[in-house]
Amino acid sequence: MEIVAENLTFTYSAQTKRLAFRALDGVSVDIKEGEFFGIIGRTGSGKTTFVQHLNGLIKVQKDSGRLLIGDYDLTAKKCDYKSLRAKVGMLFQYPEHQLFAETVFDDVAFALRNFAPKLTEKEVTVRVKEALELTGLTFDRVKDKSPFDLSGGQKRRVAIAGVIVAKPEILVLDEPAAGLDPKGKREFLELLQRLHKDFVKTIIIVSHDMNLVAEYCTGAAVFSGGKILAAKTPKEIFSDGELIKESGLDLPLTASLTEGLKKRGVTADNDFTADGFVESVCRALNIGGKTR
Amino acid sequence: MPLLEVKNVSYSYDKTTKALKGVSFNVEEGEFVAIVGHNGSGKSTLARLLNGLLKPADGEVVVDGFSSSDKNAVFEIRKRVGMVFQNPDNQLVASIVEDDIAFGPENLGVPREEIGKRIDFALKAVGMENFRKATPTRLSGGQKQRIAIAGVLALNPKILVLDESTAMLDPHGRKEIAEVVKRLRAQGVAVIAITHYMEEAAKADKVIVMDRGVIALSGTPKQVFGQKEILSSLGLELPAAGIIADKLRARGANIPNDIITEEELAEALWKL
Amino acid sequence: MRDVAFGSYFPAESFVHKMDARAKILIAIAYMVAVFLVSAFHFLGFAACLLFVIIATCVSKVPFLRVIKSIKTIIFFVLFSAILQLFFNKQGTVLWWIITDVGLINAGFIVARIVLIVLGASLLTLTTSPVELADGIEGLLYPLKWIKFPVHEFALIMSIALRFIPTLIDETDRIIKAQKARGADFESGNIFKRAKALIPVLIPLLISSFRRADELADAMDSRCYAGSKNRTRYKKMKLTFRDLIGVLFVAGLIVGIVYLNGFYALSGLAEIAGAL
Repeated sequence: MEIVAENLTFTYSAQTKRLAFRALDGVSVDIKEGEFFGIIGRTGSGKTTFVQHLNGLIKVQKDSGRLLIGDYDLTAKKCDYKSLRAKVGMLFQYPEHQLFAETVFDDVAFALRNFAPKLTEKEVTVRVKEALELTGLTFDRVKDKSPFDLSGGQKRRVAIAGVIVAKPEILVLDEPAAGLDPKGKREFLELLQRLHKDFVKTIIIVSHDMNLVAEYCTGAAVFSGGKILAAKTPKEIFSDGELIKESGLDLPLTASLTEGLKKRGVTADNDFTADGFVESVCRALNIGGKTR
Repeated sequence: MPLLEVKNVSYSYDKTTKALKGVSFNVEEGEFVAIVGHNGSGKSTLARLLNGLLKPADGEVVVDGFSSSDKNAVFEIRKRVGMVFQNPDNQLVASIVEDDIAFGPENLGVPREEIGKRIDFALKAVGMENFRKATPTRLSGGQKQRIAIAGVLALNPKILVLDESTAMLDPHGRKEIAEVVKRLRAQGVAVIAITHYMEEAAKADKVIVMDRGVIALSGTPKQVFGQKEILSSLGLELPAAGIIADKLRARGANIPNDIITEEELAEALWKL
Repeated sequence: MRDVAFGSYFPAESFVHKMDARAKILIAIAYMVAVFLVSAFHFLGFAACLLFVIIATCVSKVPFLRVIKSIKTIIFFVLFSAILQLFFNKQGTVLWWIITDVGLINAGFIVARIVLIVLGASLLTLTTSPVELADGIEGLLYPLKWIKFPVHEFALIMSIALRFIPTLIDETDRIIKAQKARGADFESGNIFKRAKALIPVLIPLLISSFRRADELADAMDSRCYAGSKNRTRYKKMKLTFRDLIGVLFVAGLIVGIVYLNGFYALSGLAEIAGAL
C-alpha cells in the first residue's frame, strides 16, 4: 500500500481560537510500498500528529487536504477504519505500557480477536505463536505467564508481538527504541530488519536517532513547524547543509565526519551508513586491505 | 576522606536473589561518575542506596561522614545527595515551577526569605530563570527535567544522582542536561549518572559497569571501553565513534586503539 | 493533546485575581448566602445580586461571555427545575392551562437563584487558579488542626491531584490510541459491551498510576519530605486592602437585601441555619 498525503493540515483545539494550535500545515508526501521510511524533526514539529493520521487515530479534518493509503481514502465520508487499522499497525513509545491481559497469549491475541473475530481458536494460536517467536520469545515458556511478571525487555517484545500479530502491511513506530539498553536496542533493530525483509512491507519510523536513520532508512521526511521541509534519501538530507540548519536536526556521526574531511580537502562521498563511510574514507585516503 | 563511600554493599528485594553483591566504590568531590549496565544489572538499586531510599542489607554507604544505616542521618544524607529520576512527569509535585522548587527547602524548614534565594540560585543553575511562574506540564521534556534538577539543587547537595534522567529525552533535551551537568561540576558538585548512552559515559571521569549485581569493570572511560570483549559479553557496546574507529582500523587505517569520543575520532581522521 | 485547557481559570492581572484566595472563597460563600436570603417576592434583591456579579466581573477583566457560558453546563438542570414549578405548582390562581401565578413566580425565582449562584461560583474559579483555590481551602481549614484534622496532608493531596490531572489525561489519551490501533472499539455495542471495552484502558492506566505514585514517593522522599513537622511555607497568603474592599462590598449586599426583605430575611437566615 502506498501512502499519499496532499496538503494535509491539522489544528488542535480548532474551536477555541485562544488555544488553537496548527500541528500540520500543508503536508504533502508520497511513501512508496516497501520503504523503510524515517519521520524526523525536532519535538513538536508535527511528526506524531502526522503518523497518527495514517491509521485514523487522528481523523483528517474537514477541508484539510487529502490522505490516501492504498485503496483507503481517509478523506472520504465513509472509511472503514477498523480494517485500515488491521493493515496499518502502530507501535507507540514505551509500548509495554499498553499491556493489560491476564496472560501473554490473551494480550497478543487481542488485536487478532478484534480484527478477525471469525478466526478459530486454533488459527489464533498459530498466529500468536508466530508473532511471539518472531520477536524472539519462546511461545511455550511465556504464553501462560502474566505479562506483568516479565522483564522490561520481554514486555516490550510481547507488546510488539501484539501489534504484528495482525500481519499489518505497514508498520508505524513512534520512537520505538526509547529506554532500551544497548543490547536491547541492537536486537530490536535486527528484529525490525527481519520484519521488513519478510513480514511487513513498509516500515515508517519516527526517530530522533540520526545514526539509526542514516543506517537503516531508504527515505525520510524532515518535519519542521508542521511542514515537511524535504522528503528524500538520508544521504541527500544529511548532505543538505541548509536543510539541516533550518530543521534544527543533528547530523549523524558519519555525516559530520564526512563534512569535516571535506573542509580539509578530502572528498569521501558516501551514504552515511557506518560501512559506507568507512569504505569511502579508505578509498579516498588510499587505505588498502580487505574487511576482516 | 572521599565524599561518598560505598563499602561492600549488598541488597536483596527477596530472599532468593541478590540485587547487589559486595559493591564498593568511592566518589570524590566534584567527580563525574557514570554507571552503565544492561537492564536489570542492579544500577537503579544502587542509585536508591546512595541517598538512603534503600538501606544496605550488608555493608555501608557513607556520605560526608554520615552512614545511611543510621536512622537519624537520613535527612543529612538526602540533603547532600540529590536524586533525579527517569520520568520528569513523575517527580514534580506542584503546578507552578517556583512552588515545586520550594518543596525541598520547605521540608527542611528553611526560612521564607532563604527559600526565595534558593529558588533564584537553583533556576539560574539550570538556566530556567524565565520560567519561575510557568506551569511544568506545558514545558518540554528537557525543561521539565531541568526543573526537577533545580528542585534538588535547592537543597544545596554535594552530589547529584541522575537515575537514567536522560532516557526519555530527545537529543536536544539530552544536550540541555549535559550542559547543566557541566556547569554543576564547575561549581564543585559531584555527578553520578546512570545511563544507557555510552556517549554520555565516555565524558565521565570514571565509568562503573554493573552486571548481575556486581561491578564488572571500572576505571576511566578509556580503560573501560578498552575492554571490548568483556563489554560486549555484558550486553554493552562502544560509543558510536569507537565502533567506527574500530572499523577503520580493521581496514588498516592508522587510528589509535582507544578512541571513544567524536572529537578524538575527528582528530585522528584529520591526521590521516 | 498539548495545551488542553484545564479547569476554567482565566489568567489575567486584575483586582479580583490579586485578591487573597481565602477572602475570595469567603466572599463567594457570603454572596451565596445573600442569594438565598432574597425572598420570592422581592426580585429587587436578585437585581442587587446581579449587580454585584456584574461589577465583580467588570473589575475582574474576565469577558462577560465567559462568565455567562458557565450556565451552559447546568442549563438542563435549570430548565427541569423551572418546568417542575411551572406545571406542578397548584398554588395561586390559574393563569393559563395548568400554570398558576405562584408557579410562574416560583419558576422564575428558582431560575434566578441557580443562575446567580452559578455565576458567582464560576467567577470564583475563573479568577482563582486551582492551586490558589487549594491553598485557600487549606488556609480556611487551618483552625481544624486543633481537632487533629490533617490539614497539611489534605492540602498536599489536593495540590498533587491537581498537578497530575493533565498528565493522566495525556496518558489516557495515549493508551486509548494504542488500543484503538489494536482494533479496540469503544463506540459500538450496548452499555455492557462498552464497559468491557474499557478494561484494556483502565488496567494499563491503573498500573501506570501506581508506577507514577511509586516514583513520586521516591522523589518526595529524596527531597526530604517528612510530613508537616517543622515545615515552612514559601508562599504566604496575605490579606490586603483589596480583600477588605471585597468583604465590605459583599457585606453591603447582604445588608441591602436584609433591608429590602424586611423580616423575611431573618426567617431565611433561620432556614439556612436549620439546613446546616
